[in-house]
Amino acid sequence: MKQTFMNKWIAAAALLLCQSPASAHDMHRPTAESGCTGVALSCATKVTPAFGPDGKLWIAMLAGGKVAVAASTDGGRNFTKPVAVTDQKLDMDWGPDARPKIVIDKHGDLIVAFSTFRDKAFNGEVFTTRSTDGGQTFTPIRPITSNNVSQRFEALALDTDGTVFAAWLDKRNRAPAKKKGEAYDGAGLFFATSRNGVAYSQAQLVHNNTCECCRLGVAFAGHGRPVVIFRNIFEGGVRDHAITTFSDPDTPGPIHRVSNDDWKISACPHQGPSLSIAPTGTYHATWYTNGKNRQGLFYARSLDGGATFSKPVPIGDPAHNPSRAFVLATARGTYLAWKEFDGEKTTVRMMQSSDDGETWSEPKTVAETADSSDHPLLVSFGRAVFLSWMTKKDGYRFQPVGQGT
Amino acid sequence: MKQHLTRDLLALMAVLFAGVAMAEATIEIKPFERGSWQAILQAHAGRPTLVHFWGVTCGPCKVELPELGQFAKSHPGVDVVMIDADLVPNTPAAVRAMVSQAGLASAENWAFGDTFTERLRYEVDPKWQGDIPRSVLIGKDGSVRTIEGSAASADLEKWAQGQGAGRH
Repeated sequence: MKQTFMNKWIAAAALLLCQSPASAHDMHRPTAESGCTGVALSCATKVTPAFGPDGKLWIAMLAGGKVAVAASTDGGRNFTKPVAVTDQKLDMDWGPDARPKIVIDKHGDLIVAFSTFRDKAFNGEVFTTRSTDGGQTFTPIRPITSNNVSQRFEALALDTDGTVFAAWLDKRNRAPAKKKGEAYDGAGLFFATSRNGVAYSQAQLVHNNTCECCRLGVAFAGHGRPVVIFRNIFEGGVRDHAITTFSDPDTPGPIHRVSNDDWKISACPHQGPSLSIAPTGTYHATWYTNGKNRQGLFYARSLDGGATFSKPVPIGDPAHNPSRAFVLATARGTYLAWKEFDGEKTTVRMMQSSDDGETWSEPKTVAETADSSDHPLLVSFGRAVFLSWMTKKDGYRFQPVGQGT
Repeated sequence: MKQHLTRDLLALMAVLFAGVAMAEATIEIKPFERGSWQAILQAHAGRPTLVHFWGVTCGPCKVELPELGQFAKSHPGVDVVMIDADLVPNTPAAVRAMVSQAGLASAENWAFGDTFTERLRYEVDPKWQGDIPRSVLIGKDGSVRTIEGSAASADLEKWAQGQGAGRH
Protein backbone atom coordinates (compact mmCIF):
# COMPACT_ATOMS: atom_id res chain seq x y z
CA MET A 1 0.00 0.00 0.00
CA LYS A 2 2.77 2.30 1.00
CA GLN A 3 4.65 1.41 -2.11
CA THR A 4 1.62 2.12 -4.31
CA PHE A 5 1.17 5.51 -2.67
CA MET A 6 4.87 6.24 -3.21
CA ASN A 7 4.65 5.31 -6.84
CA LYS A 8 1.57 7.50 -7.33
CA TRP A 9 3.34 10.41 -5.67
CA ILE A 10 6.42 9.94 -7.80
CA ALA A 11 4.31 9.78 -10.95
CA ALA A 12 2.35 12.89 -9.94
CA ALA A 13 5.53 14.78 -9.11
CA ALA A 14 7.10 13.78 -12.39
CA LEU A 15 4.03 14.95 -14.30
CA LEU A 16 3.96 18.24 -12.45
CA LEU A 17 7.64 18.90 -12.94
CA CYS A 18 7.50 18.03 -16.61
CA GLN A 19 4.97 20.77 -17.24
CA SER A 20 6.68 24.01 -18.17
CA PRO A 21 5.48 27.14 -16.49
CA ALA A 22 3.96 29.85 -18.61
CA SER A 23 6.78 31.00 -20.81
CA ALA A 24 6.54 34.66 -19.92
CA HIS A 25 10.15 35.19 -20.81
CA ASP A 26 10.29 33.18 -24.00
CA MET A 27 11.97 35.08 -26.72
CA HIS A 28 9.98 36.08 -29.73
CA ARG A 29 10.06 33.67 -32.60
CA PRO A 30 10.67 34.86 -36.13
CA THR A 31 7.49 35.51 -38.07
CA ALA A 32 8.23 32.92 -40.69
CA GLU A 33 8.71 30.31 -38.03
CA SER A 34 5.73 31.05 -35.83
CA GLY A 35 3.18 33.52 -37.15
CA CYS A 36 3.39 33.34 -40.91
CA THR A 37 2.64 29.72 -41.67
CA GLY A 38 1.30 29.97 -45.19
CA VAL A 39 3.09 28.71 -48.25
CA ALA A 40 2.84 32.18 -49.74
CA LEU A 41 5.35 34.61 -51.17
CA SER A 42 4.40 37.13 -48.49
CA CYS A 43 5.57 34.63 -45.86
CA ALA A 44 8.87 33.85 -47.59
CA THR A 45 12.18 34.55 -45.90
CA LYS A 46 14.37 33.35 -48.77
CA VAL A 47 13.64 33.67 -52.47
CA THR A 48 15.87 32.42 -55.30
CA PRO A 49 15.11 33.40 -58.92
CA ALA A 50 15.86 31.64 -62.22
CA PHE A 51 14.70 32.26 -65.76
CA GLY A 52 13.48 29.47 -67.98
CA PRO A 53 14.55 29.31 -71.61
CA ASP A 54 11.20 30.84 -72.59
CA GLY A 55 11.75 33.90 -70.42
CA LYS A 56 9.36 32.77 -67.70
CA LEU A 57 10.62 33.80 -64.28
CA TRP A 58 10.65 31.10 -61.63
CA ILE A 59 11.29 31.55 -57.95
CA ALA A 60 12.04 28.95 -55.30
CA MET A 61 11.09 30.16 -51.85
CA LEU A 62 11.30 29.14 -48.24
CA ALA A 63 7.89 30.01 -46.80
CA GLY A 64 5.79 28.64 -44.00
CA GLY A 65 8.38 25.96 -43.33
CA LYS A 66 8.17 24.63 -46.90
CA VAL A 67 10.11 24.95 -50.11
CA ALA A 68 7.80 26.07 -52.88
CA VAL A 69 8.00 27.41 -56.40
CA ALA A 70 6.01 30.02 -58.28
CA ALA A 71 6.24 31.58 -61.73
CA SER A 72 5.75 34.98 -63.28
CA THR A 73 5.20 35.87 -66.91
CA ASP A 74 5.07 39.63 -66.34
CA GLY A 75 8.55 40.36 -65.08
CA GLY A 76 7.91 39.57 -61.44
CA ARG A 77 4.81 41.73 -60.91
CA ASN A 78 2.49 38.77 -60.39
CA PHE A 79 3.23 35.19 -59.46
CA THR A 80 1.30 31.96 -59.70
CA LYS A 81 0.12 30.33 -56.49
CA PRO A 82 3.17 28.70 -54.88
CA VAL A 83 3.40 24.92 -55.11
CA ALA A 84 5.25 23.13 -52.34
CA VAL A 85 7.80 20.65 -53.68
CA THR A 86 6.88 18.17 -50.96
CA ASP A 87 4.19 17.73 -48.33
CA GLN A 88 6.66 16.12 -45.95
CA LYS A 89 7.12 17.97 -42.68
CA LEU A 90 10.79 18.90 -42.62
CA ASP A 91 12.95 21.10 -40.42
CA MET A 92 14.34 23.50 -42.99
CA ASP A 93 17.86 24.85 -42.78
CA TRP A 94 17.37 28.42 -41.57
CA GLY A 95 21.04 29.38 -41.72
CA PRO A 96 21.69 32.87 -43.11
CA ASP A 97 23.50 31.47 -46.13
CA ALA A 98 21.05 28.61 -46.74
CA ARG A 99 18.36 28.99 -49.42
CA PRO A 100 16.47 26.78 -51.85
CA LYS A 101 18.17 26.41 -55.22
CA ILE A 102 16.50 26.23 -58.61
CA VAL A 103 17.77 25.78 -62.14
CA ILE A 104 15.67 25.41 -65.28
CA ASP A 105 16.86 23.13 -68.07
CA LYS A 106 16.40 23.66 -71.81
CA HIS A 107 13.09 21.78 -71.74
CA GLY A 108 11.74 24.12 -69.09
CA ASP A 109 11.90 21.44 -66.38
CA LEU A 110 12.56 22.67 -62.86
CA ILE A 111 15.39 21.21 -60.81
CA VAL A 112 15.26 22.13 -57.13
CA ALA A 113 17.57 21.42 -54.21
CA PHE A 114 17.35 22.46 -50.57
CA SER A 115 18.79 21.57 -47.22
CA THR A 116 17.14 20.54 -43.97
CA PHE A 117 18.25 19.90 -40.43
CA ARG A 118 18.10 16.14 -39.97
CA ASP A 119 18.50 16.19 -36.19
CA LYS A 120 18.66 18.41 -33.13
CA ALA A 121 22.43 18.71 -33.49
CA PHE A 122 21.80 20.70 -36.71
CA ASN A 123 23.33 18.13 -38.98
CA GLY A 124 22.01 18.78 -42.45
CA GLU A 125 20.52 16.79 -45.29
CA VAL A 126 20.27 18.01 -48.88
CA PHE A 127 17.27 16.94 -50.93
CA THR A 128 16.61 17.24 -54.65
CA THR A 129 13.50 17.08 -56.79
CA ARG A 130 12.33 17.85 -60.31
CA SER A 131 9.17 18.97 -62.04
CA THR A 132 8.51 18.06 -65.65
CA ASP A 133 5.02 19.56 -65.81
CA GLY A 134 5.73 23.23 -65.35
CA GLY A 135 5.90 23.21 -61.59
CA GLN A 136 2.51 21.57 -60.98
CA THR A 137 3.92 18.40 -59.44
CA PHE A 138 7.33 17.27 -58.23
CA THR A 139 9.06 13.92 -58.00
CA PRO A 140 9.38 12.57 -54.45
CA ILE A 141 12.32 14.32 -52.83
CA ARG A 142 15.58 12.35 -52.66
CA PRO A 143 18.72 12.88 -50.59
CA ILE A 144 21.56 14.08 -52.81
CA THR A 145 23.80 11.45 -51.24
CA SER A 146 23.16 8.26 -49.30
CA ASN A 147 25.65 9.31 -46.63
CA ASN A 148 23.79 10.20 -43.45
CA VAL A 149 26.26 12.42 -41.59
CA SER A 150 25.70 16.05 -42.56
CA GLN A 151 25.34 17.96 -45.80
CA ARG A 152 24.54 21.66 -46.14
CA PHE A 153 25.05 24.67 -48.44
CA GLU A 154 24.36 22.93 -51.72
CA ALA A 155 24.92 24.83 -54.94
CA LEU A 156 23.55 23.90 -58.37
CA ALA A 157 24.71 24.86 -61.83
CA LEU A 158 23.56 23.68 -65.22
CA ASP A 159 26.09 22.73 -67.90
CA THR A 160 25.37 23.47 -71.55
CA ASP A 161 24.57 19.80 -72.23
CA GLY A 162 21.96 19.75 -69.45
CA THR A 163 24.13 18.03 -66.86
CA VAL A 164 23.42 19.29 -63.35
CA PHE A 165 26.50 19.96 -61.26
CA ALA A 166 26.00 20.04 -57.50
CA ALA A 167 28.53 20.94 -54.82
CA TRP A 168 27.97 21.03 -51.06
CA LEU A 169 29.69 21.00 -47.68
CA ASP A 170 29.78 17.59 -46.06
CA LYS A 171 30.98 16.43 -42.64
CA ARG A 172 31.39 12.71 -43.42
CA ASN A 173 35.18 12.81 -43.04
CA ARG A 174 35.21 14.31 -39.54
CA ALA A 175 34.48 11.24 -37.46
CA PRO A 176 36.89 8.89 -39.31
CA ALA A 177 39.69 11.45 -38.94
CA LYS A 178 39.00 11.92 -35.24
CA LYS A 179 38.85 8.15 -34.77
CA LYS A 180 42.39 8.01 -36.10
CA GLY A 181 43.40 10.76 -33.71
CA GLU A 182 43.74 13.34 -36.47
CA ALA A 183 42.48 16.87 -36.19
CA TYR A 184 39.68 17.76 -38.60
CA ASP A 185 38.37 21.30 -38.75
CA GLY A 186 35.28 22.33 -40.65
CA ALA A 187 33.79 20.20 -43.40
CA GLY A 188 34.63 18.77 -46.81
CA LEU A 189 33.70 20.20 -50.19
CA PHE A 190 31.95 17.44 -52.15
CA PHE A 191 30.35 17.28 -55.58
CA ALA A 192 28.16 15.06 -57.74
CA THR A 193 26.52 15.32 -61.14
CA SER A 194 23.12 14.34 -62.46
CA ARG A 195 21.56 13.84 -65.85
CA ASN A 196 18.06 14.52 -64.60
CA GLY A 197 18.47 16.59 -61.43
CA VAL A 198 17.04 13.85 -59.24
CA ALA A 199 19.50 10.94 -59.17
CA TYR A 200 23.05 12.07 -58.56
CA SER A 201 26.36 10.29 -59.10
CA GLN A 202 28.34 9.07 -56.13
CA ALA A 203 29.59 11.99 -54.06
CA GLN A 204 33.28 12.80 -54.50
CA LEU A 205 35.57 14.89 -52.39
CA VAL A 206 37.09 18.08 -53.74
CA HIS A 207 38.83 19.29 -50.60
CA ASN A 208 38.84 18.66 -46.86
CA ASN A 209 38.78 21.30 -44.12
CA THR A 210 36.59 23.99 -45.60
CA CYS A 211 34.61 26.43 -43.51
CA GLU A 212 31.36 24.63 -42.66
CA CYS A 213 28.86 27.49 -42.52
CA CYS A 214 29.18 29.58 -45.68
CA ARG A 215 27.49 29.41 -49.05
CA LEU A 216 29.44 28.26 -52.10
CA GLY A 217 29.75 30.05 -55.42
CA VAL A 218 29.52 27.87 -58.55
CA ALA A 219 29.87 28.77 -62.23
CA PHE A 220 31.10 27.17 -65.45
CA ALA A 221 34.35 28.10 -67.16
CA GLY A 222 33.14 26.22 -70.22
CA HIS A 223 31.41 22.97 -71.01
CA GLY A 224 32.38 20.29 -68.48
CA ARG A 225 34.45 22.68 -66.40
CA PRO A 226 32.64 23.72 -63.21
CA VAL A 227 34.33 26.18 -60.91
CA VAL A 228 33.69 26.35 -57.17
CA ILE A 229 34.67 29.18 -54.85
CA PHE A 230 34.49 28.51 -51.11
CA ARG A 231 35.66 29.74 -47.75
CA ASN A 232 38.53 27.44 -46.92
CA ILE A 233 40.33 26.79 -43.64
CA PHE A 234 43.99 27.41 -44.33
CA GLU A 235 46.90 26.57 -42.03
CA GLY A 236 46.41 27.94 -38.54
CA GLY A 237 42.62 28.23 -38.76
CA VAL A 238 42.62 31.03 -41.33
CA ARG A 239 39.22 31.21 -43.07
CA ASP A 240 40.13 32.80 -46.40
CA HIS A 241 38.74 32.00 -49.81
CA ALA A 242 39.87 29.39 -52.30
CA ILE A 243 38.79 28.32 -55.76
CA THR A 244 39.06 25.24 -57.93
CA THR A 245 38.42 24.80 -61.64
CA PHE A 246 37.54 21.28 -62.76
CA SER A 247 39.51 19.90 -65.71
CA ASP A 248 36.51 17.72 -66.58
CA PRO A 249 33.19 17.05 -64.81
CA ASP A 250 34.77 14.40 -62.56
CA THR A 251 38.15 15.96 -61.86
CA PRO A 252 38.61 18.94 -59.56
CA GLY A 253 41.66 21.06 -60.34
CA PRO A 254 44.23 22.49 -57.96
CA ILE A 255 43.09 24.68 -55.08
CA HIS A 256 44.12 28.32 -55.51
CA ARG A 257 43.88 31.01 -52.88
CA VAL A 258 41.71 33.91 -53.97
CA SER A 259 43.07 36.37 -51.45
CA ASN A 260 45.40 36.37 -48.48
CA ASP A 261 43.18 38.19 -45.97
CA ASP A 262 44.52 36.28 -42.97
CA TRP A 263 41.20 35.94 -41.16
CA LYS A 264 42.05 33.60 -38.34
CA ILE A 265 38.82 32.93 -36.51
CA SER A 266 37.44 29.98 -34.60
CA ALA A 267 33.87 30.93 -35.43
CA CYS A 268 31.40 30.68 -38.25
CA PRO A 269 31.31 33.81 -40.43
CA HIS A 270 28.02 32.63 -42.03
CA GLN A 271 28.89 34.66 -45.10
CA GLY A 272 30.09 32.91 -48.21
CA PRO A 273 31.45 34.21 -51.52
CA SER A 274 29.93 34.83 -54.93
CA LEU A 275 31.36 33.93 -58.34
CA SER A 276 30.45 34.67 -61.93
CA ILE A 277 32.42 33.90 -65.08
CA ALA A 278 32.08 36.24 -68.04
CA PRO A 279 31.84 35.08 -71.64
CA THR A 280 35.38 36.47 -71.95
CA GLY A 281 36.55 33.81 -69.46
CA THR A 282 37.25 36.36 -66.72
CA TYR A 283 36.44 35.09 -63.21
CA HIS A 284 34.68 37.68 -61.03
CA ALA A 285 34.66 37.00 -57.28
CA THR A 286 33.35 38.80 -54.20
CA TRP A 287 33.69 37.91 -50.55
CA TYR A 288 33.60 39.17 -46.99
CA THR A 289 36.50 39.07 -44.57
CA ASN A 290 37.56 40.53 -41.28
CA GLY A 291 41.18 39.47 -41.63
CA LYS A 292 44.36 41.06 -40.44
CA ASN A 293 45.21 42.21 -43.95
CA ARG A 294 41.83 43.65 -44.91
CA GLN A 295 38.33 43.97 -43.52
CA GLY A 296 35.01 44.28 -45.29
CA LEU A 297 33.59 43.31 -48.67
CA PHE A 298 35.93 42.81 -51.60
CA TYR A 299 35.99 42.16 -55.31
CA ALA A 300 38.76 40.66 -57.43
CA ARG A 301 39.00 39.12 -60.89
CA SER A 302 41.12 36.46 -62.47
CA LEU A 303 42.30 36.58 -66.06
CA ASP A 304 44.10 33.23 -65.90
CA GLY A 305 41.35 30.77 -65.09
CA GLY A 306 41.40 31.26 -61.34
CA ALA A 307 45.13 30.68 -60.83
CA THR A 308 45.72 34.23 -59.62
CA PHE A 309 43.44 37.12 -58.70
CA SER A 310 43.79 40.88 -58.95
CA LYS A 311 44.39 43.03 -55.90
CA PRO A 312 41.16 43.02 -53.86
CA VAL A 313 39.04 46.13 -54.33
CA PRO A 314 36.92 47.20 -51.34
CA ILE A 315 33.16 47.37 -51.96
CA GLY A 316 30.73 49.76 -50.30
CA ASP A 317 30.85 52.30 -47.52
CA PRO A 318 32.80 50.82 -44.59
CA ALA A 319 30.78 53.02 -42.21
CA HIS A 320 27.59 51.25 -43.31
CA ASN A 321 28.57 47.66 -42.77
CA PRO A 322 28.53 46.39 -46.37
CA SER A 323 27.60 42.72 -46.62
CA ARG A 324 26.24 39.90 -48.81
CA ALA A 325 27.78 40.88 -52.12
CA PHE A 326 26.64 39.14 -55.29
CA VAL A 327 28.36 39.41 -58.68
CA LEU A 328 26.88 38.71 -62.11
CA ALA A 329 28.85 38.89 -65.36
CA THR A 330 26.94 39.08 -68.64
CA ALA A 331 28.04 39.70 -72.21
CA ARG A 332 27.07 43.33 -71.74
CA GLY A 333 28.55 44.14 -68.38
CA THR A 334 29.46 43.03 -64.90
CA TYR A 335 27.22 43.89 -61.97
CA LEU A 336 27.76 43.94 -58.23
CA ALA A 337 25.00 44.21 -55.63
CA TRP A 338 25.34 44.25 -51.85
CA LYS A 339 23.59 45.37 -48.69
CA GLU A 340 24.45 48.30 -46.44
CA PHE A 341 22.91 49.22 -43.12
CA ASP A 342 22.93 52.68 -41.53
CA GLY A 343 21.43 51.77 -38.16
CA GLU A 344 17.84 52.24 -39.33
CA LYS A 345 17.44 50.93 -42.84
CA THR A 346 19.03 48.43 -45.16
CA THR A 347 19.83 49.50 -48.70
CA VAL A 348 20.84 47.48 -51.71
CA ARG A 349 23.69 49.24 -53.44
CA MET A 350 24.95 48.44 -56.91
CA MET A 351 27.75 49.29 -59.28
CA GLN A 352 28.63 48.06 -62.72
CA SER A 353 31.62 47.62 -64.96
CA SER A 354 31.68 47.84 -68.73
CA ASP A 355 35.32 46.74 -69.03
CA ASP A 356 35.17 43.26 -67.54
CA GLY A 357 35.78 44.37 -63.95
CA GLU A 358 38.74 46.66 -64.50
CA THR A 359 36.88 49.83 -63.50
CA TRP A 360 33.52 50.33 -61.80
CA SER A 361 30.78 52.95 -61.77
CA GLU A 362 29.95 54.92 -58.65
CA PRO A 363 27.71 52.88 -56.33
CA LYS A 364 24.03 53.78 -56.25
CA THR A 365 21.10 52.73 -54.08
CA VAL A 366 18.54 50.63 -55.95
CA ALA A 367 16.27 49.46 -53.10
CA GLU A 368 15.79 49.87 -49.37
CA THR A 369 13.79 48.51 -46.45
CA ALA A 370 13.49 49.14 -42.72
CA ASP A 371 13.20 45.57 -41.46
CA SER A 372 14.87 42.23 -41.98
CA SER A 373 15.71 41.11 -45.50
CA ASP A 374 17.15 38.30 -47.58
CA HIS A 375 20.44 38.56 -49.44
CA PRO A 376 20.27 40.53 -52.70
CA LEU A 377 20.64 38.35 -55.80
CA LEU A 378 21.11 39.21 -59.47
CA VAL A 379 19.75 37.30 -62.44
CA SER A 380 19.72 38.02 -66.15
CA PHE A 381 17.67 37.15 -69.18
CA GLY A 382 18.85 38.28 -72.55
CA ARG A 383 20.35 41.72 -72.08
CA ALA A 384 18.32 42.57 -69.01
CA VAL A 385 19.67 42.27 -65.46
CA PHE A 386 17.34 42.10 -62.46
CA LEU A 387 17.66 42.46 -58.71
CA SER A 388 15.84 39.82 -56.65
CA TRP A 389 15.38 40.81 -53.00
CA MET A 390 12.93 39.48 -50.42
CA THR A 391 12.10 41.86 -47.60
CA LYS A 392 9.91 41.29 -44.57
CA LYS A 393 8.25 44.69 -44.56
CA ASP A 394 8.08 45.55 -48.24
CA GLY A 395 7.61 42.10 -49.77
CA TYR A 396 9.41 40.65 -52.74
CA ARG A 397 11.21 42.98 -55.08
CA PHE A 398 12.13 41.97 -58.58
CA GLN A 399 13.29 44.97 -60.50
CA PRO A 400 15.36 45.71 -63.60
CA VAL A 401 18.73 47.17 -62.71
CA GLY A 402 20.62 47.10 -65.98
CA GLN A 403 20.35 46.66 -69.71
CA GLY A 404 24.03 46.52 -70.49
CA THR A 405 25.89 48.92 -72.72
CA MET B 1 10.87 -7.44 -5.44
CA LYS B 2 13.52 -6.95 -8.10
CA GLN B 3 10.77 -5.81 -10.44
CA HIS B 4 9.56 -3.25 -7.87
CA LEU B 5 13.06 -1.95 -7.37
CA THR B 6 13.52 -1.49 -11.11
CA ARG B 7 10.18 0.27 -11.33
CA ASP B 8 11.03 2.55 -8.40
CA LEU B 9 14.41 3.31 -9.88
CA LEU B 10 12.85 4.25 -13.20
CA ALA B 11 10.29 6.42 -11.43
CA LEU B 12 13.02 8.13 -9.45
CA MET B 13 14.98 8.76 -12.62
CA ALA B 14 11.86 10.29 -14.13
CA VAL B 15 11.59 12.64 -11.17
CA LEU B 16 15.25 13.61 -11.40
CA PHE B 17 14.95 14.18 -15.13
CA ALA B 18 11.80 16.19 -14.59
CA GLY B 19 13.59 18.14 -11.88
CA VAL B 20 16.34 19.11 -14.31
CA ALA B 21 13.70 20.08 -16.87
CA MET B 22 11.95 22.16 -14.21
CA ALA B 23 15.17 23.88 -13.21
CA GLU B 24 15.89 24.67 -16.84
CA ALA B 25 12.37 25.94 -17.43
CA THR B 26 12.79 28.53 -14.70
CA ILE B 27 15.88 30.09 -16.31
CA GLU B 28 14.92 33.55 -17.36
CA ILE B 29 15.82 34.39 -20.94
CA LYS B 30 15.25 38.07 -21.58
CA PRO B 31 14.42 39.18 -25.12
CA PHE B 32 17.28 41.24 -26.54
CA GLU B 33 15.55 43.98 -28.47
CA ARG B 34 16.13 47.51 -29.63
CA GLY B 35 17.74 49.43 -26.77
CA SER B 36 18.69 46.30 -24.80
CA TRP B 37 22.39 46.84 -25.42
CA GLN B 38 22.35 50.30 -23.87
CA ALA B 39 20.28 48.93 -20.98
CA ILE B 40 22.91 46.26 -20.35
CA LEU B 41 25.75 48.79 -20.48
CA GLN B 42 23.96 51.04 -18.01
CA ALA B 43 23.01 48.21 -15.67
CA HIS B 44 26.61 47.03 -15.40
CA ALA B 45 28.36 50.39 -15.53
CA GLY B 46 31.34 50.51 -13.17
CA ARG B 47 31.66 46.72 -12.92
CA PRO B 48 33.88 44.45 -15.01
CA THR B 49 31.47 42.72 -17.37
CA LEU B 50 31.95 39.86 -19.78
CA VAL B 51 29.26 39.86 -22.46
CA HIS B 52 29.27 36.72 -24.55
CA PHE B 53 27.36 36.28 -27.81
CA TRP B 54 26.72 32.67 -28.70
CA GLY B 55 24.21 30.34 -30.37
CA VAL B 56 22.81 26.84 -30.04
CA THR B 57 23.86 25.94 -33.60
CA CYS B 58 27.39 27.33 -33.24
CA GLY B 59 29.96 24.53 -33.01
CA PRO B 60 32.74 26.44 -31.22
CA CYS B 61 30.16 27.75 -28.73
CA LYS B 62 29.44 24.21 -27.54
CA VAL B 63 33.06 23.91 -26.49
CA GLU B 64 33.37 27.39 -25.05
CA LEU B 65 30.18 27.63 -23.02
CA PRO B 66 31.22 25.20 -20.25
CA GLU B 67 34.55 27.07 -20.00
CA LEU B 68 32.63 30.29 -19.49
CA GLY B 69 30.52 28.52 -16.88
CA GLN B 70 33.71 27.72 -14.98
CA PHE B 71 34.93 31.28 -15.45
CA ALA B 72 31.68 32.70 -14.06
CA LYS B 73 31.87 30.40 -11.04
CA SER B 74 35.47 31.28 -10.23
CA HIS B 75 35.15 35.01 -10.92
CA PRO B 76 32.31 36.35 -8.79
CA GLY B 77 33.70 39.84 -9.28
CA VAL B 78 32.91 39.75 -12.99
CA ASP B 79 29.35 40.16 -14.24
CA VAL B 80 28.69 37.54 -16.91
CA VAL B 81 26.03 38.37 -19.49
CA MET B 82 25.12 35.73 -22.07
CA ILE B 83 23.31 36.74 -25.26
CA ASP B 84 22.04 34.14 -27.72
CA ALA B 85 22.61 35.77 -31.11
CA ASP B 86 22.26 32.65 -33.21
CA LEU B 87 21.66 33.21 -36.88
CA VAL B 88 19.32 30.24 -36.89
CA PRO B 89 16.23 30.63 -34.68
CA ASN B 90 16.74 28.73 -31.41
CA THR B 91 13.97 27.25 -29.32
CA PRO B 92 13.81 28.59 -25.75
CA ALA B 93 14.14 25.01 -24.48
CA ALA B 94 17.39 24.49 -26.39
CA VAL B 95 18.81 27.79 -25.10
CA ARG B 96 17.90 26.93 -21.52
CA ALA B 97 19.34 23.43 -21.81
CA MET B 98 22.67 24.72 -23.10
CA VAL B 99 23.15 27.44 -20.48
CA SER B 100 22.04 25.05 -17.77
CA GLN B 101 24.46 22.31 -18.84
CA ALA B 102 27.27 24.87 -19.10
CA GLY B 103 26.72 26.05 -15.53
CA LEU B 104 25.45 29.42 -16.68
CA ALA B 105 21.85 29.15 -15.46
CA SER B 106 22.42 31.87 -12.90
CA ALA B 107 24.16 34.21 -15.33
CA GLU B 108 22.18 37.01 -16.92
CA ASN B 109 20.74 35.38 -20.03
CA TRP B 110 19.32 37.09 -23.09
CA ALA B 111 18.34 35.99 -26.58
CA PHE B 112 17.80 38.02 -29.75
CA GLY B 113 14.09 38.80 -29.75
CA ASP B 114 13.72 40.64 -33.04
CA THR B 115 14.16 39.29 -36.56
CA PHE B 116 15.72 42.58 -37.67
CA THR B 117 19.05 41.29 -36.43
CA GLU B 118 21.11 43.79 -38.43
CA ARG B 119 19.75 46.54 -36.21
CA LEU B 120 20.41 44.61 -33.00
CA ARG B 121 23.98 43.89 -34.02
CA TYR B 122 24.53 47.45 -35.19
CA GLU B 123 23.72 48.73 -31.72
CA VAL B 124 26.41 46.46 -30.28
CA ASP B 125 29.03 47.08 -32.96
CA PRO B 126 28.27 48.62 -36.37
CA LYS B 127 30.91 46.40 -37.97
CA TRP B 128 29.67 43.11 -36.53
CA GLN B 129 28.23 40.91 -39.28
CA GLY B 130 26.91 38.19 -37.03
CA ASP B 131 29.78 35.75 -36.55
CA ILE B 132 29.66 33.95 -33.21
CA PRO B 133 31.07 33.22 -30.68
CA ARG B 134 32.06 36.75 -29.78
CA SER B 135 32.97 38.23 -26.40
CA VAL B 136 32.89 41.86 -25.35
CA LEU B 137 34.97 42.68 -22.28
CA ILE B 138 33.78 45.86 -20.62
CA GLY B 139 36.09 47.30 -18.00
CA LYS B 140 35.18 49.16 -14.84
CA ASP B 141 36.19 52.32 -16.63
CA GLY B 142 33.92 51.56 -19.58
CA SER B 143 36.76 50.41 -21.83
CA VAL B 144 35.57 47.88 -24.40
CA ARG B 145 37.56 45.06 -25.96
CA THR B 146 36.03 42.63 -28.44
CA ILE B 147 37.25 39.08 -28.93
CA GLU B 148 36.14 37.48 -32.20
CA GLY B 149 35.71 33.73 -32.05
CA SER B 150 36.42 31.62 -28.99
CA ALA B 151 38.15 33.46 -26.16
CA ALA B 152 41.25 31.90 -24.62
CA SER B 153 40.81 31.22 -20.88
CA ALA B 154 44.23 32.72 -20.14
CA ASP B 155 43.21 35.87 -21.98
CA LEU B 156 40.04 36.21 -19.92
CA GLU B 157 41.95 35.58 -16.70
CA LYS B 158 44.49 38.26 -17.55
CA TRP B 159 41.71 40.75 -18.26
CA ALA B 160 39.88 39.84 -15.05
CA GLN B 161 43.04 40.29 -13.01
CA GLY B 162 43.58 43.67 -14.66
CA GLN B 163 40.13 44.56 -13.42
CA GLY B 164 40.95 43.45 -9.88
CA ALA B 165 38.50 40.59 -10.26
CA GLY B 166 40.77 37.59 -10.77
CA ARG B 167 40.08 33.97 -9.93
CA HIS B 168 38.71 33.21 -6.45
